[in-house]
Amino acid sequence: MNQNDSGNVVEIENLKMYFPITRGLLRRKAGDIKAVDDVSFTIKKNETLGLVGESGCGKTTTGRCILRLCKPTSGKIMFNGTDISAMKEGQLRPFRSNMGAIFQDPYGSLNPRQMARTIIGMPLIIHGMKKKRQYDERVEELFNLVGLDPSMMTRVPHEFSGGQRQRLGIARALACQPSLIICDEPVSALDVSIQAQIINLLEELQEKLGLTYLFIAHDLSVVQHISNRVAVMYLGRIIEIANSRELYENPLHPYTKALLSAIPMPNPVIEKKRTRIVLKGEVPSSATPPPGCHFHPRCNIAIDECKVEKPQLINTGNGHMVACCRV
Amino acid sequence: MAPLLRVENLKTYFRTYRGLVKAVDGVSFEINEKEIIGLVGESGCGKSVTMLSILQLISSPPGEIVNGKVKYEGQDLLQYKSKSEAMNSIRGAKIAMIFQEPMTSLNPVLTIGRQLTESLEIHLHMSPQAAKERASELLHMVGIPDAKSRLSAYPHQFSGGMRQRVMIAIALSCNPRILIADEPTTAVDVTTQAQLLELMQDMVNRFSTSLVIVTHNLGVVARYAERIYVMYSGRIVESGWANDIFLNPRHPYTIGLLKCVPQLGETRQERKLVPIKGLPPNLINMPATCAFLPRCDFASDICRSNPWPSLEAVGENHYIACYYHKSEKP
Amino acid sequence: MVKKAYNNIEPVGTREWEEKAPRYSETRRMIAVFAGRPLPIIGFTIIILLVLMAIFAPLLAPYPPNQMDIVNKLQQPSSAHWLGTDSLGRDTLSRIIYGSRTSLIIGITVMIISSVAGIVLGLMAAYFGGATYHIIMRFMDALMAFPMLLLALLIASLLGVGMVNIIIALGIGMISAPCRLMCGVVLSVKQNDYVLAARAMGMSNRRLMFQEILPNAFPPLLVMITIGIGAVILAEAGLSFLGIGITPPTATWGGMVNDGYKFIMYNPVLAISPGVAIMLVVFGFNMLGDGLRDALDPKLRGVI
Repeated sequence: MNQNDSGNVVEIENLKMYFPITRGLLRRKAGDIKAVDDVSFTIKKNETLGLVGESGCGKTTTGRCILRLCKPTSGKIMFNGTDISAMKEGQLRPFRSNMGAIFQDPYGSLNPRQMARTIIGMPLIIHGMKKKRQYDERVEELFNLVGLDPSMMTRVPHEFSGGQRQRLGIARALACQPSLIICDEPVSALDVSIQAQIINLLEELQEKLGLTYLFIAHDLSVVQHISNRVAVMYLGRIIEIANSRELYENPLHPYTKALLSAIPMPNPVIEKKRTRIVLKGEVPSSATPPPGCHFHPRCNIAIDECKVEKPQLINTGNGHMVACCRV
Repeated sequence: MAPLLRVENLKTYFRTYRGLVKAVDGVSFEINEKEIIGLVGESGCGKSVTMLSILQLISSPPGEIVNGKVKYEGQDLLQYKSKSEAMNSIRGAKIAMIFQEPMTSLNPVLTIGRQLTESLEIHLHMSPQAAKERASELLHMVGIPDAKSRLSAYPHQFSGGMRQRVMIAIALSCNPRILIADEPTTAVDVTTQAQLLELMQDMVNRFSTSLVIVTHNLGVVARYAERIYVMYSGRIVESGWANDIFLNPRHPYTIGLLKCVPQLGETRQERKLVPIKGLPPNLINMPATCAFLPRCDFASDICRSNPWPSLEAVGENHYIACYYHKSEKP
Repeated sequence: MVKKAYNNIEPVGTREWEEKAPRYSETRRMIAVFAGRPLPIIGFTIIILLVLMAIFAPLLAPYPPNQMDIVNKLQQPSSAHWLGTDSLGRDTLSRIIYGSRTSLIIGITVMIISSVAGIVLGLMAAYFGGATYHIIMRFMDALMAFPMLLLALLIASLLGVGMVNIIIALGIGMISAPCRLMCGVVLSVKQNDYVLAARAMGMSNRRLMFQEILPNAFPPLLVMITIGIGAVILAEAGLSFLGIGITPPTATWGGMVNDGYKFIMYNPVLAISPGVAIMLVVFGFNMLGDGLRDALDPKLRGVI
């Protein structure tokens, strides 16, 4: 597939996804839910970009926009050099075989009435694989690739455990050899001991197959572990992007600091030494976000400028970008 | 000093279409006054069922408490029937519970005020006026702004985090001696989770309540719990002080858990996660041997030919249920 | 379009094949639930007997159903005619046996027509939403506003009587129930992630609707269809009783009640026996439907 010279698989520029709110008998537009509010980032080849934030921050919607499961209100989505943000369904078909998606719910993401081999092989059928033998070989290969016994291919989803179902979901995402995989909370619904299996599987697959991941999750420990770079979202905007390590050692945005402090670590000795930052208030609604910097009502270093000016993402060196006027 | 609550060899079984599920199979632990305890385990290990059994909230077909004693202040609670006066006066008043789902734990057709005053009127025999005042004090205490006017609001008018706070308020309203928090952090965001746990810790300190945190999140118990019980497949496999459990884990399951959980600040290049091999246990018709056997890296013939080991001490107040580690460190 | 397969790549991840759980069949569980209670079994038996009776009618009936024997008209039950004869000397028992054919044919045909139409319309309404949904649902609302018999009367007056027209009339009248149920179920099935996954891989709308959504939305419809056959048989009997149903001399239970009730004083068996037949059959279908519903999803109790 063609890639532009910079080697970026995905380039998002000023992506906006607004959902209109209608009121009244005539369904007049009363406002917008600004799910994604001017988001820009890039994902390099073979990289894992983590997208983290709390509920309502727009990370899932961003993932869906890239998959073109919804049509963005405005902005550019460059996938391997081509802008897919305004394309119609028919034009998108060939691009879809190059994008895979893994979803959160291992119980809901597989059709309960289909056999495992049909579920996994569906992308192949849709994108035109006609020969039966080739299809069967590929399905068996996919089973092996994700660590499942191919003799289970005639089983139905409810005969697999949660972790195994998630493996099926991964196999399905890999069917057409995509270059990009969007992982939307792939391990959040799994037991802790199974999470590690799936995380390791994803990492090994990335190394072996040269995949690029957008890893969306709310658990910062997991995101930080698997990602090369992490982007933190709050109420539809990216407020900080940095390398994994850098984000942990040197968080700049007050929200990132609070988020890091809120995550308890499984080590009581370290825990006793950590300072705890407890935010006041709750996440506001995306329909009526606070003016200026969205975070200012809960921020402990907010000044008057924060209520008026929308902060831009500024590069503070070493690829570490932050959107805060106090930094 | 005698423990406030002592559970002895509790067994709760469920009869299902597919077989007998031994959800809780011989669990013993104790809670002292003013203590924070963590009960850790993955889904299906029986931790929630244990807590529900203490309060006798298990629905009777298909579940049944077949054995055990739950001694609250010396009195065995299991002697009382589930719907008896005695049990009702313990629930909510002496031992209170907060559930996981704030969406479904509050009655959607009653106001918040009503749900608060209900408990106060029944257990503390307060007059409606006094109950209302106390209710608005409680709401203020858990950090809900405009407490007095919010009394007449309905649950759907609150966000998830606020609902959880209301639940904490209801649970604490009658000054219980023990507060059980069942997965308090699963349905809320991380920052809200931090707020709620800080609030619970604060309440515990203020009112000298004991707190039991039931969770699968190791970090939460590391931060708040003094003593920890690790459960697997219906039994306790390791128990001890928090420092011992985390810094010197002895049971293969605990060791495996700690190795497979990603920790903040460690990227994949620095530390690779070591998963626990195999699948979570199938609780239906379990064999008599140790349930962790198929997944254990230290399994030996002793483990394969003997029933599940009982808890033995490996240190001061540090117990594990394992043959391999009875005498040696891994 | 798909590049050549990966070769020589080692399987990754922990090997899971030591841990194969035994196979578990949902079908077996459903059959066990169904067979575990007496009423569904009774219903099932009744229906089987009905079908057998309809198929083997020529062998079972002692006389041809339309054979008139005026001399022996209005006989009481006797050894020659177990249920007596009607006003034209035709054997009641034979007419009841042959009447099962009519009822079954009409019941099944009507349900097939109305279900297929209702399912497709409901599926489209729920899937596409927007204007499609509103148009289809308002049409269904209008249809539901007509009592079924009135509708059948209307169509009968436009098209005339006869089996085909009755089937058309009842078919149209019964569309709205499966359509609305299908719409409701599809709206909830649509929320599942596997539908999202199918869209993400570029599945066409048609394939999504019929391959992913329909099989998962169908079970509640099965229950409704089963119970619906009973309802159609009852409705047809009502129409025949009113005289706008199947034309004589075809044996139909409703028609037999119509003929027989004039003589209810002298020969009650004439009117009551077809009535009992109708009752048993409708009961059978209802019990069958209840059993199916509980086997498929006990949560639907009270909803269907």
